[in-house]
Amino acid sequence: MTAGAPAQLKPASDVPTLVVDSVSVAFAGIKALSDVSFTVVPGSIHAIIGPNGAGKSTAFNVLSGIYRATSGAVRFGDDNLLGLRPHRIARLGVARAFQNIALSKGQTVAENLMLGRHALTRSGFLTSGLRLPSATREALVHGARIREIADFVGLGDKLAKPAGMLSYGDQKRVEVARALACEPRLLLLDEPVAGMNAEESTYMAALIAEVRRELGISILLVEHDMGLVMGISDRVTVLDFGRLIAEGTPAEVQDDPNVVRAYLGTGEDDNGERGR
Amino acid sequence: MSSALTARLRRVRVGTACRIILVLILAVLPLYLDNALLQTGLFSMAAVVGAIGLTILTGAAGQLSLAHAFFLAVGAYSYSYYAGVKDPSGASKAHGLGMPPVLAMILAVATAGVVGLLFSPIAGRLRGIYLGVASLSLVFIGSFIYENARGLTGGFNGRPATEFDLFGFHFGQDNPPLTVLNVVFGRFERLWYLFLALAVLAYIFGVNVLRGRMGRAMQTMRDSEVAAATMGVDIRRTKAGVFALSSMYAGLAGVMVALAFTRVTPDYFILPLSISYLAMVVIGGLGSVGGAALGAVFVTALPTLLSRYSGSLPFVAEPASGGYDAGKISAALFGVAIVFIVIFEPGGLSALGTRITRRFRRSKTEGPATEPKRAMPRSGTVTRTQEDPV
Repeated sequence: MTAGAPAQLKPASDVPTLVVDSVSVAFAGIKALSDVSFTVVPGSIHAIIGPNGAGKSTAFNVLSGIYRATSGAVRFGDDNLLGLRPHRIARLGVARAFQNIALSKGQTVAENLMLGRHALTRSGFLTSGLRLPSATREALVHGARIREIADFVGLGDKLAKPAGMLSYGDQKRVEVARALACEPRLLLLDEPVAGMNAEESTYMAALIAEVRRELGISILLVEHDMGLVMGISDRVTVLDFGRLIAEGTPAEVQDDPNVVRAYLGTGEDDNGERGR
Repeated sequence: MSSALTARLRRVRVGTACRIILVLILAVLPLYLDNALLQTGLFSMAAVVGAIGLTILTGAAGQLSLAHAFFLAVGAYSYSYYAGVKDPSGASKAHGLGMPPVLAMILAVATAGVVGLLFSPIAGRLRGIYLGVASLSLVFIGSFIYENARGLTGGFNGRPATEFDLFGFHFGQDNPPLTVLNVVFGRFERLWYLFLALAVLAYIFGVNVLRGRMGRAMQTMRDSEVAAATMGVDIRRTKAGVFALSSMYAGLAGVMVALAFTRVTPDYFILPLSISYLAMVVIGGLGSVGGAALGAVFVTALPTLLSRYSGSLPFVAEPASGGYDAGKISAALFGVAIVFIVIFEPGGLSALGTRITRRFRRSKTEGPATEPKRAMPRSGTVTRTQEDPV
């Protein structure tokens, strides 16, 4: 077993393009997504926005293999992600930070981050149970990388704490750190600043920008905080009722009449009150 | 940072020292205990092994199993089949392969693991309580097999279990004779050390598994299957693997029970046995290896201890006198213990232990918080491995 032997990671330059090609998802006849297409350029920050129920989370669940699309294709480089089980997608370098924190609260921050290394390591029951040298070496090598990542997101001093004991903002950062621990080529961030106070949210925005600058990976982001989205995104895709209604740079999207209508309504059927 | 590290090291060392002392105490006990107590100890240690397996499955991975009794039976019957020979008197129809007992023990554990893997199409797809219900079927299928596959099991009356021997040292008889400090080492004393060694190994292996990569994976799977899968954990494979591992623990416990009884009979491996294993891991604290060991001793030893001292204890009737005898009273005590634990200390005996030791330990000083550094190299340290684990 060569587990944990130091070697080169694929350089960030091989970050592939993510192409979402007319994907539709239906639940019992209700269309959650219809014919949605967009492209995430390597190394870019791409945001998906839209009102509640627009299909943003559905899109994420399709990308990480939790929902099956009824039609369409999702290409990540040469691989088609549709039809792959979640762990296969993870192994292709797609990592996700969850909106409603999905950490193991009883385990320490370090253990939670080590879970992110699952696909990169290979000790099984026997190697860990007997503490064979390969398991020990793996724990050392990957533990060192975990500390780097924890320092990077500013959690270096909290590694030994149970994840459930951290503040909400810190737990959200552990989520991001755990996704980073997968050494992703595409990072899916599901509402990374939801529920955060202004200070935590500024920190997170800086962190996201830093991840892109340092690692050069693609970041796909679902977020309601328009300040964050418009501030850091390269491109924005807008969904409404499962359909794509606009796509472009933050400035283009902000002025798009469809987007304004989706968020504020036309007012035409609201007792004659005019929308702005 | 370094002070926190030394504090941590000290804690680890204190814990290790306590465990070594406990093992040393257990190692001198045969010099003082009579055979009845030694036999209770043997059954307790077999239960320790089985309960560790169940707490890994049910506690750490969150997969309920009521099939533990079945896998104990698989271990017990396959050991006596591999090591046994055909009864020359013809009283029992059971035959055997006549292998050396060590080999038979290893193969019996492996057999339990393989049978556990055969169940993986079900074990890998069901979650929590649904697996509990599905696994129940194995207990009943088992009962049918034990009574009808007479060539393997000896049928209703069971079959004898071959005594264990290791390189000519017999554990079931006084051959070669051995006397330590004026105590003759007979069957019970010899088996005690064998069982102690097996229980310690099972404990260490279990702790290591839970601390390792698969342990983290199964605990996250218990907390959120979606999160675990998204982080690269193959859910079906992990569930199937944990189920097989737990079956192997049960198989070893079954071999130990067979050795302690010298006989394998079908009426032992019934549903109440599975339930009492669940009681052990709940009382000990779900997911804790040490807790499972404590719970196993508590549940196994209490009925025998109560009945042994029934004369001097109030409210405990003599066995078979029709009153509240030790068996009934201990069943009631387990019920009360489980209710109290679920309400007041869901972490069980292990959490209780942690709470007590924490009270004795002076509050540890926090290391200075390190400044967050903002430089992450492009991760040149680790390679992405292609093949599947497990």
